[in-house]
Parts: sequence; C-alpha cells; structure tokens
Amino acid sequence: MASNSRKNVALDREDVLKLGFAGNVVEKRVTRKDDEVRPWDLETKFQYVGTRVPRFDGLAKATGRAKYTYDVNLPGMLYARFVRTTVAAGTVKEIDLSKALALPGVKAAEQVWDLKNPVRYAGQAVAVVCCETSEQCDDAVRAVKVQYERKPHVVTVEDAIKDDAPQVGNRKNATEPQIGRNAVDVEEIDAALKTAAATVDVTYRTQVQTHTALETHGTVAHFTKDATGAEKLYVWASTQGTFTVREGLCRALKLEANQVEVISEFVGGGFGAKFGADETAIWAARLSKKTGAPVKLMLTRKEEHLCTGNRPDSVQHVRAGCDKDGNLVAWHVRNWGTGGVVPNAGARNPMIYTPRGMKTRKEEFAVLTNCGPQAAMRAPAHPQGAFANEQVVDELAEKLGMDPIAFRLKNDSYKQRPAQYELGKKLIGWERRNPKGGDGPLAGTGARKRGLGVAAATWGVNGGADGTAVAIVISPDGTVEVRNGCQDIGTGTRTLLGLTAGEALGCPKEKIRVRLGHTTDPFGPASGGSVTGPTLSAAGVEAGHAAKLAFLRKLGPKLGVEASSLDVVAGKVTSKDGKSWSWDDACRQLGVESVEITHTRGENFDAGFQGTVGGVQLAEVEVDTETGFVRVIKVVAIQDAGTVINRLTFESQVLGGVIQGISYALYENRWMDRRSGFMLNPNIESYKIAGAADMPEIVTVAFDLANGLNSAGVSGLGEPTVIPTAPAIANAIANATGVRVRELPMTPDRVLAALAAAKGGAK
Amino acid sequence: MKRFEFVEASSLAQAAKLAAQPNGAVRAGGIDLMDLQKEHLAEPDRVISIRRVPGAAEIREEGGALVIGPLVTLAQLASHPVALAKWKAVAVAAGEAASPQVRNQATVIGNLLQRPRCWYFRNELLQCARKGGPDCLSQEGENRYHAIFENKDCAIVHASNVSPAAMLFDGSVKTVKADGSRREIPLAKLFVKPEVDITKEHVLEAGEVVEALVLPAKAGGDHSSFLAAREKSAFDWPLFSLAVRLEMSGNVVKAAQIVFGAAAPTPLRREKAEAALVGKAIDEATARAAAALCFEDATPMTQNGYKVAMGTALTARAILAAV
Amino acid sequence: MKSQDESKEPQPLSRRRFLQGVGIHSVGAVAMATTLPKVALAGEPSVDASALQDPAPNTLGPDAVEVTLQVNGEARKLQVEPRVTLLDALRERLDLTAAKKVCDRGTCGACTVLVDGELRYSCMTLAVECVGSKIETVEGLAPAGQASAVSEAFAQCDALQCGFCTPGFVMTITHHLRNEKSPTLESAKRACQGNLCRCGTYNRVFEAAVLAATKGAGLPSGGGTGAGAGAGLKGGN
Repeated sequence: MASNSRKNVALDREDVLKLGFAGNVVEKRVTRKDDEVRPWDLETKFQYVGTRVPRFDGLAKATGRAKYTYDVNLPGMLYARFVRTTVAAGTVKEIDLSKALALPGVKAAEQVWDLKNPVRYAGQAVAVVCCETSEQCDDAVRAVKVQYERKPHVVTVEDAIKDDAPQVGNRKNATEPQIGRNAVDVEEIDAALKTAAATVDVTYRTQVQTHTALETHGTVAHFTKDATGAEKLYVWASTQGTFTVREGLCRALKLEANQVEVISEFVGGGFGAKFGADETAIWAARLSKKTGAPVKLMLTRKEEHLCTGNRPDSVQHVRAGCDKDGNLVAWHVRNWGTGGVVPNAGARNPMIYTPRGMKTRKEEFAVLTNCGPQAAMRAPAHPQGAFANEQVVDELAEKLGMDPIAFRLKNDSYKQRPAQYELGKKLIGWERRNPKGGDGPLAGTGARKRGLGVAAATWGVNGGADGTAVAIVISPDGTVEVRNGCQDIGTGTRTLLGLTAGEALGCPKEKIRVRLGHTTDPFGPASGGSVTGPTLSAAGVEAGHAAKLAFLRKLGPKLGVEASSLDVVAGKVTSKDGKSWSWDDACRQLGVESVEITHTRGENFDAGFQGTVGGVQLAEVEVDTETGFVRVIKVVAIQDAGTVINRLTFESQVLGGVIQGISYALYENRWMDRRSGFMLNPNIESYKIAGAADMPEIVTVAFDLANGLNSAGVSGLGEPTVIPTAPAIANAIANATGVRVRELPMTPDRVLAALAAAKGGAK
Repeated sequence: MKRFEFVEASSLAQAAKLAAQPNGAVRAGGIDLMDLQKEHLAEPDRVISIRRVPGAAEIREEGGALVIGPLVTLAQLASHPVALAKWKAVAVAAGEAASPQVRNQATVIGNLLQRPRCWYFRNELLQCARKGGPDCLSQEGENRYHAIFENKDCAIVHASNVSPAAMLFDGSVKTVKADGSRREIPLAKLFVKPEVDITKEHVLEAGEVVEALVLPAKAGGDHSSFLAAREKSAFDWPLFSLAVRLEMSGNVVKAAQIVFGAAAPTPLRREKAEAALVGKAIDEATARAAAALCFEDATPMTQNGYKVAMGTALTARAILAAV
Repeated sequence: MKSQDESKEPQPLSRRRFLQGVGIHSVGAVAMATTLPKVALAGEPSVDASALQDPAPNTLGPDAVEVTLQVNGEARKLQVEPRVTLLDALRERLDLTAAKKVCDRGTCGACTVLVDGELRYSCMTLAVECVGSKIETVEGLAPAGQASAVSEAFAQCDALQCGFCTPGFVMTITHHLRNEKSPTLESAKRACQGNLCRCGTYNRVFEAAVLAATKGAGLPSGGGTGAGAGAGLKGGN
C-alpha cells in the first residue's frame, strides 16, 4: 500500500487479512502505516456497509427536485440547437445563415463546419443557432440553408468490404487484421481442430446498439465574470467526467482551470458515451461568450442516436474444438465490425475460457462506414464476443452430450464460478433443463416451448488512485459532509462514497451528506470501465479514517481525554476507560470549529484474492415456435464485485445489466438505409428498448467477497452484468427449440428462419 | 414544429368549414397530427381544435348501434361496458393500441385516420411515392415491418388497430363537409388502396370532419376476436394484426368475417377463407385450413416473409378464439 | 378503470369566462375586453366564420398569448405560442422541471403528468389546450420539502437509478394507486406500459407500487434503516 502524503510517518504495522468467500478463505499479509486504515476483509465488523440503504438522492429523484443539466433554467437563458448534415457522404458547398439570423428571437447563428472537410455521415454538425425560446430554435434550424455535393456512401459492413465500395476515410474501409495476443498461425489451429473430438464452424452476428441515455448529451454554459472582474465560465454538463469536461473547455476556450467550474450533480444516464467536452459543451460556452447570456444546448433525441456513439456491430466467424472430455483445444475467430467513421470496432472477441494448451487465433477487422461514430458502451466489446463465445461452448458441449455448466467449468479458472453456478442452478431449477434441445418435459409438446440457458462473464478493472481525493467536513452540529468532484451517473456513487467514508469514520448514517459533481471539490475519476466504485470507495474509507483521527485529535483535549484512547464505534465516541458520548454531544464540543480534511487515495494493493470480478446468469425462456416470439420467463444473476457496500444499489446495478441485456438480446437495433445512408429509426419508437411488459422475474444475488485489492475491497460492477444476458437467453432458446439463433436481436423473423432452416434439414 | 394559429371550433360543421381553408388541420386528440408536425411532415398554419365541441366525447347506443363521437378516446372505448359486451373485438383492439397515456388522449376516429408509420414515409428528408416521390423506398430497402399483401406500389401497413375490428361489424363513419353537407361512408369504402391514390389513406375530402363512427349491432357479435403480434410485449406497432367474427348456429359457422390489419396498406377482408368456414364446426383443423387460405395471395418482400408463417398461426388462433 | 368520463370532456369555455380572464388572452389585444368577436379577435388572422350559426371560434396565435394554467392547485399565468407543448410550458416557462423531455414524441413516458386526473404525455399536449384543466406534476404530489407515499416507496425500493424516467413513473404509479386499491406486481407492470426506463429499474418500480399501497403515508422518510426496505416483498427483484 502506498503511503499517503502525511508528514508524521508512523510505524509500519502488519495485518493478516482474511480474503475470499465462504468456503474459500485465504490469508494475506499486508503492511501499512500506523495511522492508515486496516483494509476491509472478511473479519471487518460493519455498522452499515453490506446492508440495504436507500440511496441518499433517491427522494430528490423521486420527488422531481433533482436538477439535471436539462433542468437548469437561468435568468435570461438562451436556447441553442445544431443543424446537421443531411447527406451521408460528400462535401458542404455553402452554409447560408442569413435567413436564420433575420428571424425573430434569433440571437446568434454560427457556422460549425469547416468547408474543407468531407462529410462522412448524415448527422454531423454544420451550424448552430441560438434563440430566445426553444421553439424559435426549430424555426432557425430550418432557416439555415446548406448546399451539399453528394458522394457515394456505404453504411453496412458487407457493402464496405466490397472491392468497389466507396471509400469512407483516407484509406481502405477495412483495417488490416489486428491479430490478438499469443496467436498461433492458421495451420496450428487447423491441426488442433483435426485432433478435436468435437468442432464447430459457425458465424455469429450482433447489431449496432445505441446508448440512448434518457438525458441527451447537453450543456448549459454561463460565461460571466467573477467578483474580481475576471472571466469565469460556469458549466452544467450531462457527463460521465466532470474533470474531463473542464480540461476540454480550458483547452478549447483558452481558460485556466480555476476559471472553469463544471457542475454535474445529476446525470440522466451515460453508459459510456458521455466523456469530455463534447460539441455541446464547446458551443454552449462559445455562444454564451458571444451573446453574454447563459445558453442551454441539449441534443434532440434524433441527434442523440445519430452522432453521440453506439456499440459497434459484429460478424464473428468462429472455428473451435474440444477434446472428448470437454477441454477446449482450438479457438479461431475472424471478427468484422463497424464503429462507423471511427476505425475502432471493438471486435476483440474477449474470451473468458483460456485453458492451458488451447491454440488461439483472433483476427479483428475494423470496418469504416458512413455511420455515426462508435463510443465505449457498457463493457465495450464484451457483449458482442460473449454472444458468440458463450453459444459456441454450448454448441460444443451439446456435441459431446455434456452439461454446459460442467463443460464451462472444465475451461474456466475463475475461483468463484463453481459456487456461483451451484447457487444459480438451484435458483433457476437447472434439473428441469431439457436433456436435448427442443426435447424434454420443459419443452413440452405444444407450440410454446420452454428451455434453460446459461452464460458467464469475467471483468477485470479495479480502479486506482489516479489522484482521487476526498474532503470531509465534520461540523459542530454533527453533520458530516463528504465531497468529491466526480459525478453519479445513476450507479449510486453518491451513496457509495457516503457509506464508505461514514463507516470508516464511525458516524451515524443519518449524519452523512455527500456532495458530488462540482469541479471545485477534490479530483475524482471519470465514470468509465467500472472504475468509479473501486476508486471512490477506497478513497472514502481512507478519508473517513483520516477524518476520524483528526476529529479525535481535536476532541481529546476538549473532553480531557488522551486522543489515542478515543474511538468512534457505531455512531458513538468511546474511550478505553468505558466512557461514551453520543455523536451529537461529541461534535458539540467542537464549539464553532469544524474538522476538515482532504485525503488523497492510496494505490491499490499488488494482488488480492482475485483481480477480476465475475458472474453467471441463467435464463428461462418460452419460444412460440409458430410465431417466433421469445418471452423471457426468469433470469437469475449472480455477481461478485468485492465488498458489497450497499446491497440495495448493488442489486440495482445487476438488475440494470440484466434488463439492458434482455433489451439487447431481443429488441434493439439501429437500422440504416443503404440507399439514402440515413438511420431509419432515430427515435425510441422503432429503436426498440425493452419495456415494463417485457420484464421477467429477475433474481439478483450479490455474491459477497473480500478481495483485498484496495482499502475497501471493492471492484467494478457496472459493466460485467450486461455481458452474459443475451447469450444465456440464446442458449435457453436453443434448449427450448433445438435450434440456434446466431444473430442479434433474436426477433421473431430470425427465430422463425432458424426453425424453418432446421426443418428443411439445412441446419 | 412550425408556428400555427389555434382555433377552437364550437361545432363540427364549423370545424369543417375552417379546415377546408388552405393549410388547416383538425386536431382532436392530436397525437398523430403533432407527431407529423414535429417531423415537419405536416405544417398547418391553422390547427382547428374540436375539443370544446359539445357532445363530441360521447359514446351512445342508438337504435342498437354504437355511436362513437370524434373526441371519444381509445381508453373510453376500451373500458366501455356495452362495447365490451357487444363489440368486443373493437373494444379489445382499442385497449391494445399504444400505451395508457396515448389511449387517454388519442381518439378512436384519429386511430382510424392516422397516417402510416412506414419509416421512409416518416422521414422528412425522403421522398417516397406516398409523398410524391418516384418510387416506394421500401421495395429494395428495409422492409421487415412492411406489407405482405398489395405492396407493389407502396408497402405501408394499415396503422389502425380499431379499423379491422370495426369492419367486422360493418362499421361506417358519418361526416360533415365544409359546405355543411353530411354523408355516411362504410369503412369498407373509407380506405384508399395505393393503386387508386397512392398519396391518401382515406377518401375524406379536405375539411371533411368525422362526426361519428357507427357500429351496427350484430347477432352473435360476441363471437369476435382481435389479435396483434408485436416484437415488444406492449406499446409497439403490430407486425401483424387481424380481427375475426363468427356467427354461430350451434357449433356450426353461419357466417364469418376475417379482416387483416397490419398486413396490407388498407384493412384486408379475406373472403375466400370466410366462405370456407361457413357450414363447418370450428376446430384446430378447420381454423388452420382457413388460415392457410388467407395467405395464398401473399406477396412477401425481401425481408418480411416471416409474416406469412407468423400470420398463418395467428389467424388460426384468432379464429379459434372467436368461437 | 375510469369512472370520470364526464370530467374528460372539457368544459366549453364560455365567452364570459373567457373575457373574465379565466381562459386564454391574446397578448396585448386591447380589443379583447370590449368586443364580442363576430369573426375573430382584433389583430388575428381573419377566419371566415360569418356564415356560421355556431358561436364564433376562439382564435389564438400564432404569436404568444397569455394563458392561465391550473398547475398543482395554483393558477399560473404564462405566455405561450399555441405551438408550445404542455411539457415545454411547464419546463421552460414555469420552471417545473420534474417532467422530463426524452423522446418528445409520446413514446417514453418521461413527460407523464396528470391532466384532469388522467395520465397524459405532456410532450404531445398543447399548453393552450389545457386551459381550464387540472394539471398535476410530481412537484405537486406533496408539499414542498416533503415526499408522497409513492415517492417514498420509490426511494425505499431503489426503484430508480439515473432517475431521469422516475418522475414519469411516479406519476403513473400514483395514478395507478388512485384507481387500484389492491395493486399487485402484475397490475403495476400493466400500468407502466407507457413508460420507458433505460437503466433497468422496472421490477423495482413494480415493487414500489405494492409497497406504497401497503404502507401508504406511513412510510419513513429517506436514509432509513435499510434493513426493512422492501420487507414483505417476495421474489427478490
């Protein structure tokens, strides 16, 4: 453990931590400074960590009091909106703003586009208008006249890799294949497959998914002067990275960090697409500077679909084989995907089964198309890869006549998995599974057939220090304010920070107040890669502990007790000689002084119990084999992510992953029109997101684990939960019908096509 | 949305007169109109609201017929006890449309007259045949949600849930025109096939306002069913929908009506299958045989062939459910 | 489901009430108070209504007009063009920002409010249409600083994540509980067909509906013990 930057270095201490989970406990020695917190492990006694705590801002959200960026209304505020390209490829010949500028209420209209640039997709910003009302923006946008010269475009992977395809960028549409690490050559794969007892040679496809955060990207900017007359930019941003927005704005507007304050107390979802100072931030700030008024620039739903990011699609050709005992011997993937105009298609095909001796080769092709750019989306690349890989292992197990869970365990080194599968089997009733796809008591004999399926995921990010710090103020009235400048995008970060800090401090839970989302507060992480939880919870524990020591140092003399004999236990100040003071009484002793500390998070420990997090999901589905409709009946999701700080929000995160996974599995798809190059469904009517009526019973289990990776023992949770759902459903469909659906989303047409193909003997 | 003048008519005749003037549009529930306005597919300078017209929100029984006023919402019809008892398929169809919020605002008449949901039609930037362009963009485009019958010129699917069900009962609409004259149009003649006029979905003239949907009483009207299949379980446009009504004599079919909704540009009667059911007892075999007949003339497109298999199964189920 | 069909039909706005200022006013139209319009209001585009026997139509806009809306029990005056939706009127004119703009096409339910006791998408409703109607938003469900039983239950059950859809769901469940005395997870699920959530909170929304009905106004306020949250609700999520 790295030491913190305090001067009064104390003696090293050694602790023996108990790590792991019930049935698999290991001991690990760690050293720390005397005044540092003992890292949390299986023996830590908690006051409220691990219980179910309603999130601190739940009532603010449920009463409508929570103010999101979209809700910020400032006196004299103007509204701005972009004008976007209406051709998929070509050039902009002319942008005429004059008619827009002549309209009533229009305060500014600016050209955004550099005429030298080629248009690469329909939906790029060419101009921006700024008006007194949002309705006037409608008029002004339409009054901006843009002349284009069209060029041929290409919007699908299949079209883009043809020899005569129009070129999207400055080079060939498909990248040279990126070969994965430890790849053997094709001949070695072929040789291994020859010896295999079972092989598959199949192609899986996944669709483009858009993030569709309910709050669109957007910014309210107020360019003004502070009390000294210096320029000051206040920015409310719907973002996953308050500090990245500040940094980007400082660069774009040539301002110092102290001149820009980014505020983001509530964010209406992000899912990976809201990082940095995007075009809304930069243009809202510029327009505010130009007009002298605050400016709100929120994207419309259509823009949100077109230009803010998406999960790339994939075409994954997999050749794989195993020996007669179910040990994988070869895995060869060729994977094409498109990130639109971005040469990164996330076609990595992450694979969690990597037994010793398996020959592996991955070839990844990123294909450029005239479509909106991809952006990181909840577990980038993983859901695509898992949809193929988790079905391929099922296909191999099927060929051997092996139980798919037994097959997986042969090839999976993840320590928690056997226990997670045992629990999962019990909760879903795995013994009911049809012994053969489409054939068994669960499938039945009618048109509607039921089946069970399983899939797993492993995720490996644990956050880190990266300069994250937490400020804590203990006031004489007993309140404890915990502050960090990062954001809560809906994951429960605010509550997580409060609980970890409060637990380590020992104060009553009711006294904790948390302020997030102001860049004037100490630095915090951007919310990506599931790092916010592990980063901030450890920072919270360490800061809470530091605050306790500072509090007791100040309190000792006032109580006439040696500070070192004082402690805070379960909301009370206690002394070694058995005296105790209520929290409020103790705080009152501070008089008018507050105790205020800022603590910088220490580094992660080298290696704890397990450096990754994991989970399993099991699904029961019903397939109407005459109409092709799939109904998910039940999902069981078991997930570990280290210490469970708040069981309630932990479960919510898992629930959210499963529900988004169902939506990905059965409904969502971005449809592009090849002829016009337009997205046909930039709305949430025909871009279909799972609704209330589509919900199955979902059982979520927070799998308790002490991992010893940082002071809190917390790992990332947001992303892994979305990975296994679609393949678990797909495997359940195969178990119900005996037929595999190898393309997402698994809509009725595809289910019927798979059934028809099987009937025709063309399986 | 483009600016407009908002006029609250005090009668339907007045609304008709106002709406006949250039660039007027009548707003009742206004959901589809506003959707079209927001997408700039309709840009009326004057929106004529009929929401303050006395009596327009009433459902009443008149001479055995159900008379549904132009402000009656889908929710009102769906929960109307008399409608549920005697015109069940219509009430069920109304109750399955869209979502509770939409059903509270959208009117039954508006549901009949709404414009198609085809994503080529709904995109302002695309000039499809229905909007005066040279061709139907779905023919070689993304047509998985499109029509499998009568789809050569334009492949929209009829968007109304209510109309196929209302046609089972020989429903008609009563209208008033700008000149104050009135007429009654059977639903069977209300909707316009693309081959007749590709730009219109119904025969109403400019300014013609519907005063009521009239559903005559039918003997044995409770032998009716409505089925719609959606990708999502609710609040999704049907991939296929149909309504079936049987007149039974004991366990034998005396008369049958089968009307497809989301399958063709207009509601589609399936007379051949209807005739095949007459004189038969309904069982799985007769239902399936009749269902197969319904799809003999299907002309699926490049991506929507699945609707034939799906529709056949659903048709058989709807026939069985109607008994 | 509904027994107040009468209330659904808007009360015809009589000329007198109109002139007394209850209803809609053309901005700055001096003629308003003095002229019983035969054709249209002074300064408005003319409408050929001379041949009609019916009372002359009310004509508004296209410029902004002053209207009074009854929102959460308060009469609120505001200036709106006829094209302004109820949602934009609430959010951008009255600073009532609980109802959210998400799809702006009547497909997601984030803008759900109650108009005369009925669930409505405020993004597909015109503000001028709501004159004389009773409008309820989340802000009006409980006195300032307090929370309704439904809001409390949402917080207790963690029936929210990013929270952007939440006010819409709270309105839907509030309406559901007013009309359904013994709600179940299934009935709540049906009630929520018109509301979308992206984070994945549906199942907990159903639980919150049941909890709110069970505990009613007796729910503890936020930051509670945690241990009892969701007690009595079987089946996990």
